Amino acid sequence: MPAFDDDIFFATASELNQKLRAGEFSAKELARAFCDRLEKLGPRYNALALSLREFAVRKADDVDDELKRGRFRSPLQGVPFGAKDLLSFAGQPTAWGARPYAGQVFDYTATVLNKLDRAGAILIGKLSLVELAGGGGYRYAAASVTGPGLNPWDRSRWSGGSSSGSGSAVAAGLVGFALGSETSGSILTPAAFCGVTGLRPTYGLVSRYGAMALSWTMDKIGPMCRSAEDCGLVLQVISGGDSNDPSSAGKSFYYAPQYTRKFKDLRVGYAPVDFDEWAESSSRPAFAQALEVVRGLGVSLVETSLPDFPYSLVTGTIISAEGSAVFEPLIASGKVDQLADQKQIAGLKAGLDIAAKDYLKAMRIRSRIQQALRRLFVGVDMLLAPARSGPASKVSEPLDARRDRPDAKSRGLRDLIQAGNLAGLPAVSLPCGFDEGLPLAISLVGRPFTENMLLAIGREFQNQTDWHRRRPPG
Amino acid sequence: MPRKLTRRDLAAALAASVPALASPRAVPAKAEEDELLAAARAQVLKNAGRLAASEIPMATEPAFLFKA
Repeated sequence: MPAFDDDIFFATASELNQKLRAGEFSAKELARAFCDRLEKLGPRYNALALSLREFAVRKADDVDDELKRGRFRSPLQGVPFGAKDLLSFAGQPTAWGARPYAGQVFDYTATVLNKLDRAGAILIGKLSLVELAGGGGYRYAAASVTGPGLNPWDRSRWSGGSSSGSGSAVAAGLVGFALGSETSGSILTPAAFCGVTGLRPTYGLVSRYGAMALSWTMDKIGPMCRSAEDCGLVLQVISGGDSNDPSSAGKSFYYAPQYTRKFKDLRVGYAPVDFDEWAESSSRPAFAQALEVVRGLGVSLVETSLPDFPYSLVTGTIISAEGSAVFEPLIASGKVDQLADQKQIAGLKAGLDIAAKDYLKAMRIRSRIQQALRRLFVGVDMLLAPARSGPASKVSEPLDARRDRPDAKSRGLRDLIQAGNLAGLPAVSLPCGFDEGLPLAISLVGRPFTENMLLAIGREFQNQTDWHRRRPPG
Repeated sequence: MPRKLTRRDLAAALAASVPALASPRAVPAKAEEDELLAAARAQVLKNAGRLAASEIPMATEPAFLFKA
């Protein structure tokens, strides 16, 4: 077996695939090397929920046979990957990050995993998450059966949630890429905190069949990778209509960033207040530099801000009402008390008290938000903001601890995560620098089904910078 | 796709997947639980008040059949 070094573990998916096709090593050797690394280092970051070594090696054997016969399936063929442990994989435990569901086994496989299997990608493990994707609201990073997600850049910091293990595993070179899911920030936040590239697809573009439901009207599944290019390659495989998912938009995605509009014709909306006031003061230089890189791509930067709506209130009400309805049997059984985070337990129980009129009011305001954002996107092609206002928080710090910052002069795009999720808009998170040795990221949000445009900007941003290529220590 | 899981496989997988099960979970005081639940319920009521205060045109329909 060849000796694999960090250049392999931190290669992009497309680079790994090229090396496999060139015969530099076999898919089986690569799968074994990644399994070794995931099993050895995954627990160090509390990132591993379940190793699938046996399955992975068998699958890699099949891939090697195909490569020998010259059957090339996709640019992901032979690439080892991990999946957030809320995606079912037939016959294997899917714990949803929660003690009451430990040992839960489904007899069917999530559509996204079947699609990746057909593309020749090799699932090597299930990755940890915040219990039940954090739907009840949680106070501590430790809200998971696998413990707090630890950040590979500094293990005293959180990896972000709820796709904690997906973020850590990609950042630490334990998988070639990973799948995460987002209801409101669960891909963008760990991607930003861990310094990887995350893509939240348009609502309905990727089937959720076989995924744990938290909020039927807001859940999305998306890739977390080493580059924008890889996100495009993975999205191409996992997108598409699915009659098993009632929310499916019935659309496919073909990664073709070269055919998007010329950058000089693109208007990118941003709010100076996000960079000058909302961002943590020590992070501002990196964010300002990233803004200049984007400007240097030739786009027009246009000052803008979000329309005035109670985004957090609406998001919280919808997720709480839908999440508590999803988990009503868990609450009624009393097993909800086995969850790790007391605030999450209380939030799920209290969510059952939300009146129908309040849920409907939130959904009516959501309609207004969608209309207002459509109008906003008449004047801009995409929105740009810091993905998070600063680097990852300390693992020991309560997540609801308010950071002491003065009120800013205007709203800016501060609530972009909630607004984008309420409207089902696609977004990409791009590493853009460091603060105290911890990654920072910017996010781009576009109109529905404009993933290629976001990825085109992301790819060019990453051609101009090397933040996405940086590796965490040790 | 995957083969059928044997009982031995399942036991091994469970042992690997839930290490935290082996360690006792800190049991919070009942008072703390009650306090958190009361706070969460109070927040639901507060949110209801804020939603009621948000004025929107009567013709606005909920984002029921939501498509991006």
